[in-house]
Amino acid sequence: VKRRGRGIACMWYPIGFTVAANPSAAVVKVNEDGTATLLTGTVETGQGSLTILAQIVAEELGIATGDVHVVSADTDTTPMDTGAIASRTTYVTGNAARLAAEKAKKILFEVAAPLLGVKAEHLEVGDHKIRIKGFPQRSLHIGDVAERARGVNGEPPLGSASFNPATAALDPETGQGKPFATYVYATQIAEVDVDDETGEVEVLRVVASHDCGTPINPMLVEGQVEGGISMGVGFALEEEILFDAKGRQINPNLTNYIMPTSLDMPKVEVDIVDSYDPTGPFGAKGVGEPTCVATAAAILNAIHDAVGVRVTSLPATAEKVYMALKAKRAQEQRVLQPGP
Amino acid sequence: VDRRDTGDKKAGVIERQAPAEALRDLLRVPAAAPLAPLPLETFVPEARQQTPAVRQRATRPDARLHGLGQTKYIDDFYLPGMLYAKIKRAGIASARILRIDTKEAEAMPGVVAVLTGRDIPCNSFGPSLKDQPVLADERVFHAGDGVAAVAAVTEQIAAEALEKITVEYEPIMPVLDPLVSLTLETPGIHAPSSNIYGHKVIKKGDVEKGFAASFRIFEASFRTQMVEHVPLEPHSSLATWDGNGRVTIYSTLGRITLGRADIARTLAVPMSRIRIIATVVGGNFGGKNEITTEPVVALLAKKTGRPVKCTFTRPEEFTSSTTRHPIVMDYKTGVSKEGRILARQIRLVLEGGAYCSWSETTLAKACILSPGPYDIENIHAEAFVVYTNKTMTGAMRGFGAPQVCFAYESHMDDIAKALGIDPLEIRMRNALREGSLSPTSQQLHSVVVRETLLQAAERFGWNAQGGRS
Repeated sequence: VKRRGRGIACMWYPIGFTVAANPSAAVVKVNEDGTATLLTGTVETGQGSLTILAQIVAEELGIATGDVHVVSADTDTTPMDTGAIASRTTYVTGNAARLAAEKAKKILFEVAAPLLGVKAEHLEVGDHKIRIKGFPQRSLHIGDVAERARGVNGEPPLGSASFNPATAALDPETGQGKPFATYVYATQIAEVDVDDETGEVEVLRVVASHDCGTPINPMLVEGQVEGGISMGVGFALEEEILFDAKGRQINPNLTNYIMPTSLDMPKVEVDIVDSYDPTGPFGAKGVGEPTCVATAAAILNAIHDAVGVRVTSLPATAEKVYMALKAKRAQEQRVLQPGP
Repeated sequence: VDRRDTGDKKAGVIERQAPAEALRDLLRVPAAAPLAPLPLETFVPEARQQTPAVRQRATRPDARLHGLGQTKYIDDFYLPGMLYAKIKRAGIASARILRIDTKEAEAMPGVVAVLTGRDIPCNSFGPSLKDQPVLADERVFHAGDGVAAVAAVTEQIAAEALEKITVEYEPIMPVLDPLVSLTLETPGIHAPSSNIYGHKVIKKGDVEKGFAASFRIFEASFRTQMVEHVPLEPHSSLATWDGNGRVTIYSTLGRITLGRADIARTLAVPMSRIRIIATVVGGNFGGKNEITTEPVVALLAKKTGRPVKCTFTRPEEFTSSTTRHPIVMDYKTGVSKEGRILARQIRLVLEGGAYCSWSETTLAKACILSPGPYDIENIHAEAFVVYTNKTMTGAMRGFGAPQVCFAYESHMDDIAKALGIDPLEIRMRNALREGSLSPTSQQLHSVVVRETLLQAAERFGWNAQGGRS
């Protein structure tokens, strides 16, 4: 018989480690037509980080994401970056990109201020324009200003910057201190069916509520959460590298190393919780790794809710759940029929 | 019998074809995007073109290329005269290498060069401890260690040449259990060091006092397994030198700055003579954070004067790249009658496998996160990482967090059940709040654990009775 269960798990995850230096640098060039180029040493590994960085630069310059071209991951042409690790790109590289764009913007403001008849600090950007705060009708197209910066003022609008979360050493005895710049939080709730005869677990639904600070791109946040949950499902139920008695792997292939396919994926419902971190670019923190953290815990709690067995080692394969059920039944039998 | 469906007007009809025709069909150009003038126009207004940019659901410029199969991964690259490299794996978990005979492989037609550990100018690397050889030369520490590499005109010849290389080993008893490794005496696997190569303690408040004040104390142990990142694109790199002694390496590395430093060190070449271009990477998840094939292809390319490419096979992805740390986790938690956690003591033993890799970082993160997102006054968490003669563990999405979350959240449900408190409610009572002190006594800001709990519960339709609304 299939038994249904539900399980909840919440988690926290750090963004921007500080125990060692963790810098990223960036260069932003505003082109003469008001588009821009970002140089970054980070690597696009499929998560959409270059789009996030383009959005951050675009926001700072008041232009659209598609106006920003990103050049990345070439040690000859792009500035230093600690890398696509530790869920740090949006927060650390994003801060560097925003600061670099801000520096280029300052040059544009210096050029635009006398033309608009105000001081630079009274200017803002928006909708491809540099405009007077409170008087948006008094404005110049950012491309015209960039062209003038080059052609008349002789100072092309470019900026370079780096960002490093303030480094702090921990007390070696007690581990006390500030090891990370900030943290994100999340809750996932899983609904499962457990076959109490075979031990097979089917994950039907995962509800995921995640904090990432400001979602720079909600679609990419949802993509990260869905991908993280797929890894979480594999970690919870199927995936395991097995070794023989001599220490050699016995299932190093996709035939015998079982991982979830799209057919094994539960229905995933993602919510992004309201949150703003003043230390992140436009309030953003990060989302990459945290998405796969709570899934296995939620699924294992749902198995416990469904059939009353606590599996304490991962993965909770059908075999393991079945053995736990068998042990539980044997225990119940002993209680019901005490021996002579 | 040719059983292919022709797939056109005569759907469902099985057609017999002459072998020559069938062969021509098989040799047809692989599936590619239909010819179309570029760039491709879209028919709907795109979020990419909107201002303000932040919070827009902007599409990724690479998504379209992925969808059309136009993204070029390293395996799609070919440079004129390029050779293919393959790496011979030890296949024994622990041994001393007595002799490597490559003569027969070198004599094979199509084989251009063979490389062993002795050809590597500085045969060690690692992000913290430099305990990993590029190719094992004296000692094998796990079965996935490379012992020799071949560059040949085709991948098939390179693979066949590996079979012709003979390695004589003196087996050493492998250590396969992390808890056994923890108790073994120094010198350990990597003499003269101990097997415990990382240790971390977090002490906050006084756990003994907290336990003494507790209404009940719960204890539980949990274990997790070793898993692989399984990126769709395996590790790959392609090296090409110019006449001035400068090398360009196309690589799937996720961190080129540190990668270049490691490559410069292993090749003993100044950084200014190394260019790393990280291509579009087909999945990383932490597994592509350190060098693997890069020094091998660079040295083979130098030796042969030809570009050399090496792409991991799927088995190599499992046996010879990093994996997620298995952790043995012991929890002891003291709670009040109302389910407030008063004290928590944790011991973690991380299995590091054969090399350190990113273990020190994982150890620290796992230890700091292990008490959970809860406001706990008294904490004692201690973590160890030990060597074994198994595949090395390293960075993987979550860096220790999925393991400890499985433990602290399973433990939390058991406590809730024993006290008769709803699982959502016990978490709400203990969750970190704005300004709470973390296990390292860091004052936390923008804390929204409770908000995520309530939002998820509302979306799910969670109610305390266990039914679904």
